[in-house]
Amino acid sequence: MPTINVTVNGERYEETVPERLLLSDFLRERLSLTGTHIGCTYEGVCGACTIHLDGEAVKSCLMLAVQADGHAITTIEGLRDGSLTPLQAAFKANHALQCGFCTPGILMNMTEFLEKNPNPTDEEIRHGLVGNLCRCTGYVHIVKAVREAAQSTTR
Amino acid sequence: MFPAKIEKYVRPQSIAEALAALGEFEEGDAMFLAGGQSAMQAIKSRMLRPECIVDLQNISELKGIDAAAGGLRIGAMTRYVEIAQSAALNGAFAALADAAARVGDRQVRNRGTIGGSVCWNYMASCMPAVVLGTNGTMNLTAANGGERSIAADDFFLGPLETAREDTEILTSVSWDAPVSKTGSAYKKWGLVTDALPVVGVCVRVSVGGDGTCSDARVSISGLAGGGERAPAAETALLGSDGSTAAIAKAMDAAAEAADTHSDMSADADYRRQLIRNLGREVAASAFARART
Repeated sequence: MPTINVTVNGERYEETVPERLLLSDFLRERLSLTGTHIGCTYEGVCGACTIHLDGEAVKSCLMLAVQADGHAITTIEGLRDGSLTPLQAAFKANHALQCGFCTPGILMNMTEFLEKNPNPTDEEIRHGLVGNLCRCTGYVHIVKAVREAAQSTTR
Repeated sequence: MFPAKIEKYVRPQSIAEALAALGEFEEGDAMFLAGGQSAMQAIKSRMLRPECIVDLQNISELKGIDAAAGGLRIGAMTRYVEIAQSAALNGAFAALADAAARVGDRQVRNRGTIGGSVCWNYMASCMPAVVLGTNGTMNLTAANGGERSIAADDFFLGPLETAREDTEILTSVSWDAPVSKTGSAYKKWGLVTDALPVVGVCVRVSVGGDGTCSDARVSISGLAGGGERAPAAETALLGSDGSTAAIAKAMDAAAEAADTHSDMSADADYRRQLIRNLGREVAASAFARART
């Protein structure tokens, strides 16, 4: 079995993993970072397992853990540094989650989205959310929260 | 949805190393992995059971967009996000950016590649149809280092089938510089935003000095046979003035001639109507781009 070196949330890990282990399972089962959720039985459609790979939002169930060798990963556990990020605070203030299952993936995706596009239109926000399924909110409050986070950081 | 056992994973640094790694296994037992946004689904559902995965992520010679001298070369490992945001893809090549910007979702565009898409050639996919409609050429390298180039017309053989041999690697997709003012455009319709195309239409037109259409290519995505050209529409556009009426006539011809099918997403007549509606919009956009 190959040994991989990955940096997850700033900590370095050296782990021996089977080739077929999915990155999402590596994070959840090896590193006990269970904030990375599995919403669609690993089909790659729900976006709940979204993480940052070298700063970019990707679905961790569509990668093997061995593919992450040498890369830096951030999960939802590593997103906040002390206080809530502006996006997390906006989600809280705008009731942008109900059951919360999809929220980690949405936060990881939209955090990178706002880094790339700090002043988005509602249309751009909605287009950015295509890869994340939420079955509770109807997205209205999520769009509102992302918009408010953008305004709070670009003001 | 878990992969079957994989015996070996390798991450070569060059095209030659990748071909050598593949060659260590019986033909068909090892596979190249590009962005993996389709392939991983096939591997997890065990439609594919590779003994060895040759991950192409580190091969820098497979990456990048080169628009020198009016032509275009896109490395096989260039991601959708890079194609969607490239300033080089205007005019004749704008359809590539149209398609890449609407593939899947942000997360998929951050990893998915043009090379992976054209080699997978999924029935309901955008890039194969757009490469066909824009007259791209697939550049391949074989294990012995031999290179060959295959025009899109000869590369795409039907859903999940291409002219690439298992022992060959796609290195890039390239396009000649257009001879006259040329524009292209692509648009799809799916069941939800940015979904796989139920139908998509790609149009590439050139206009001569007198303003009439001197060259036209039209392709349709989402047909039962995958991406296919629409010769009836091409013939109707050629020599026309690109007016609304001329475009409507051409897209009526495309819809009439298309071998549309019925399934849970849409029935055959609805697919014909999608070809008409999308085709009109896309052709008008392609003419406008050619003329700017």
